[in-house]
Amino acid sequence: MQHQASGTASINASTFSISISKPIQLAAALLLGMAILYAVGFVNTSAVHNVAHDMRHSQGFPCH
Amino acid sequence: MIFRQIVFYALLVGAISGLVLTVAQTWQVVPIIHSAEVFEQESASVPAIEQAGQLARVHDHSEHKHSADAWSPDNGIERTAYTLLSNVLTAIGFALAIMVVMVASSSLNNAAVTWFDWRHGLLWGISGYTVFWLAPALGLPPEIPLAATADLEARQIWWLFAVVSTAAGLAGLAFGKPPWRWAAPLMLLVPQLVGAPHAPGAMFADQPPAAAAQLEQIAQQFIGATAIANIAFWLSLGLVSAWAVRRILSPSGNVSPSGPELPPEIESSSV
Repeated sequence: MQHQASGTASINASTFSISISKPIQLAAALLLGMAILYAVGFVNTSAVHNVAHDMRHSQGFPCH
Repeated sequence: MIFRQIVFYALLVGAISGLVLTVAQTWQVVPIIHSAEVFEQESASVPAIEQAGQLARVHDHSEHKHSADAWSPDNGIERTAYTLLSNVLTAIGFALAIMVVMVASSSLNNAAVTWFDWRHGLLWGISGYTVFWLAPALGLPPEIPLAATADLEARQIWWLFAVVSTAAGLAGLAFGKPPWRWAAPLMLLVPQLVGAPHAPGAMFADQPPAAAAQLEQIAQQFIGATAIANIAFWLSLGLVSAWAVRRILSPSGNVSPSGPELPPEIESSSV
């Protein structure tokens, strides 16, 4: 446990043969989150707007 | 594969806190939106509320016209279901963002900020609330339908600006080193000093005076109602995220190397 604690940006892929560095994985997860938030909170197509309408108003996303 | 773990747990965190938000909204937020929409339908069909006697029929009419323009969910179960869906999706997005920052901060090897017990969960939740709700709401309070607003794009840009600036300010305060740390509070102030775009004139200027007065009162209540629903949402999101991040970090032993809280035997086999 001790020797692993130092590897903060370690490559970890025990079940995969490809390994991607931790910062890139974190960046990818963040990007995915932002894409979701953009779609639900910002896209102004009327169908998307109508579905997300009540959420946008209550979450304080700019609406209308 | 930390990406996969974060995504998996974000789905779970999003489902739980999205549900919390939906329940919290049904108490005050959604009823207020509906009561404002009554005015919306009235003003779409009849200009003055004095003609209340005819409302029922005309109202029906305008609703049909409305749904012919663009699809929208029917009131009732369908609308609630779509709001639940949007809440969960939003929560998943927020959970991804906050968990990424939590995991990244654990690399700082500072036990004070990377413990991830329930108190830290609350703190992360309050930070999320400040960044994503409070800071934008100071400039652009959540609005009810019918409120006069500035250009949508301008408001979206300011919203984003407020979020990014506040996040940077809080991160600077929590993790920054002295010169940067003292500059961090400025980042919190900048979006508020710049100011959000607002429509000129009264908020409900195109409404009859009686309706406008009533709507303004509803608008005030709405701000309080959303503040409460969102604090419930963010506290649950912070708490569940802290639990998830602990689980994500524990197998590799990355969380607080000195932390006595971490039983080393948990799920070393689960990854």
